[in-house]
Amino acid sequence: MKLLRRTTLALFAGLAASAAIGAGGLAHAADMPAPFDKPGDVKIALVRYLSTGDFFQAYLSGVEAQAKALGVDLRVLDSRQDAALQADMVDQAIALGVNGIIIQHGLTESMKEAAQRAVDAGIRVVAFDVNVENPKVPQIEQSDRDLARLALEQAVADNGESWKAGYVYVAGIAPLDRRDETWKMFKEKYPGIEEKAMFGTLDNPIANSVANQTRSVLQANPDIQVMFAPYDEFAKGVKIAVDEAGLTSDIKIYSADVSTADISAMREPDSAWAATAATNPAVVGEVSVRALAILLTGGEPGASVIVPPTLITQKMLNDNDIKNMEDLSAKLPQFAHADAAMTDWMPLPPR
Amino acid sequence: MSLDQTETGRQQDPGDSGVARAQRSNRILDLAIRYGFLTLLVGLVIFFSVFANGFAGPRSAVFVFQSVAITGILALGVTCTLVVGGFDLSIGSVATSAMMLSAYMMVVLGQSAVVSIIACLAMGAFIGLINGLLIVKTRVPDLLATLGMMFLLVGLQRIPTEGRSIATGMTMPDGSTADGTFSPLFLQLGRHRFDFFLEKLLPVPVLFLIGIAILVWVFLELTRHGRLMYAIGSNERAASLAGTNVNRYKILAYVISGVLASIAGMLLSARLGRGDIASGTNLLLDAVAASLIGFAVLGAAKPNAFGTAIGALFVGILLQGLTMMNAPYYTQDFVKGAVLVIALVFTFSLSARRTGSH
Repeated sequence: MKLLRRTTLALFAGLAASAAIGAGGLAHAADMPAPFDKPGDVKIALVRYLSTGDFFQAYLSGVEAQAKALGVDLRVLDSRQDAALQADMVDQAIALGVNGIIIQHGLTESMKEAAQRAVDAGIRVVAFDVNVENPKVPQIEQSDRDLARLALEQAVADNGESWKAGYVYVAGIAPLDRRDETWKMFKEKYPGIEEKAMFGTLDNPIANSVANQTRSVLQANPDIQVMFAPYDEFAKGVKIAVDEAGLTSDIKIYSADVSTADISAMREPDSAWAATAATNPAVVGEVSVRALAILLTGGEPGASVIVPPTLITQKMLNDNDIKNMEDLSAKLPQFAHADAAMTDWMPLPPR
Repeated sequence: MSLDQTETGRQQDPGDSGVARAQRSNRILDLAIRYGFLTLLVGLVIFFSVFANGFAGPRSAVFVFQSVAITGILALGVTCTLVVGGFDLSIGSVATSAMMLSAYMMVVLGQSAVVSIIACLAMGAFIGLINGLLIVKTRVPDLLATLGMMFLLVGLQRIPTEGRSIATGMTMPDGSTADGTFSPLFLQLGRHRFDFFLEKLLPVPVLFLIGIAILVWVFLELTRHGRLMYAIGSNERAASLAGTNVNRYKILAYVISGVLASIAGMLLSARLGRGDIASGTNLLLDAVAASLIGFAVLGAAKPNAFGTAIGALFVGILLQGLTMMNAPYYTQDFVKGAVLVIALVFTFSLSARRTGSH
């Protein structure tokens, strides 16, 4: 009897809440375990290190969409690449009395202790793409190794097992370092792959700087057949240089990540950009919030939550007439949603 | 001042041979100051031609020019403000703002190439005017005024798209899709190549760089206006007492700088084919480095258009040559820094000694 009454009460509360806030994703508020039975009282903070660029913008929109679907109060703290400020912002979030924190990027050295302080304060923490070396903090990852693997497998499928390659890489950037590990493994696995040149820069506009470098590399190594540029800004620069050198049909580019601009570059007639492997940054954002929500209900999302990537080839884009990221999500369902960090009660953002 | 004292001390050395030796060493120093940097440039070209596979040849020469076209044009703008004793920190962000504006005009608003180009030039001139007025009328120091403008523009260029890069098919903040495209005519600005001995050799940005360098050189060296601007730079008060309208020339310098930066931004946009979110700090730093290296060329020891163009080229040759030799990216910043330091030593130590001895 008592149980029934509580459920009824909760149902009423849920109905009242959804009536008050409107027909968001709150229809199932009643079914959600505590503390999401009163989602309006749950405060979460997103503490960002990187925010400039399409990827981070899309990530934020995913976080916002999932937070809205849950009906929680989201605070966004943006340190704009200031590692010390990011650590201070975690303290600020603790002072704000949030229930959960998502740490998005950052440096292990500066965030390790900040994350520990938050955990000590009884706050649930998840981290995206930064290792805070804390067993209580689940890692959200977009599996950079899988990204690189998918792109390289496609390169081998298209070009056979022996080719001369140019490789774009800048050391010291965590996701690029992880992609680099896969590249090294591939070179060992396929001794026929010969790395003729390695170059790269993060001077912005990155595409322009990389284009300048690529021109030199192509001039010095005219026999390069494949360019592996495992970051889309790199790939854009390589493509500009390949076009300028008139080698569009002689070279194939394989990359990672995707954006609307990338899609149109890949779909240009005879584009050298053959394939890219990507996770949808918006989906990664949603998964980050869901993992935090599971933690808040006392559940266990697992030590690392991996968002699987999707391979996107030029042919797929042309066959499905995909023009932008929205088309991509609509035509490739595996790109629009990841089953990572799901529970039966979890409300999803409207698609 | 201690330099002067050592020089006069040396000249008081007894004996004719001492004087003769001093004169000869002066002449060598003179030659070193005047042609040292150009000799270094030629040496560099020979070095890379021998050691970097594929460096020698017209196509390499062209893409070295192309790689410095944008920073070179920006550097010429900086040079104009340096001439009047000012400094423009906002050029990098003016360039990226022009890039975003041109993309916004065509992709979102569906305007033609001509309208977009006019809008970008007007924006560059307007920002230059504001910079100039801030410095001249409100007496804000030049570094601070243009620093403020830099931050303002970095933020402003992101507001219309909420921080997204602009490309055809992008989703706007209100959920609609932008379906305009870059006009082919506009894209030619960054991509067209003219036949010059070889087929499709000379890209448009390189012609822009050469054309603008000549224009700025003629303006600064050969016209009365240019000489008055140098006069303002060396002694503002004297120039003003001699009847020069100092304020007007200062504002003019910032307007030139703004317009050149907007041209650079359009070339960038035409090459990339999209509006790229970028702060432009690297563009600014490279441009400033090029114009400071320019001080050392021909022993000018002052901002000058020829030196700036050579300075930009020097950095370009070094970076492209090193890339061809597979040097990793961090060596490039190191090399840029080293060149700048050497150039500054040329300018401030050697030239100061020369003027001190005369």
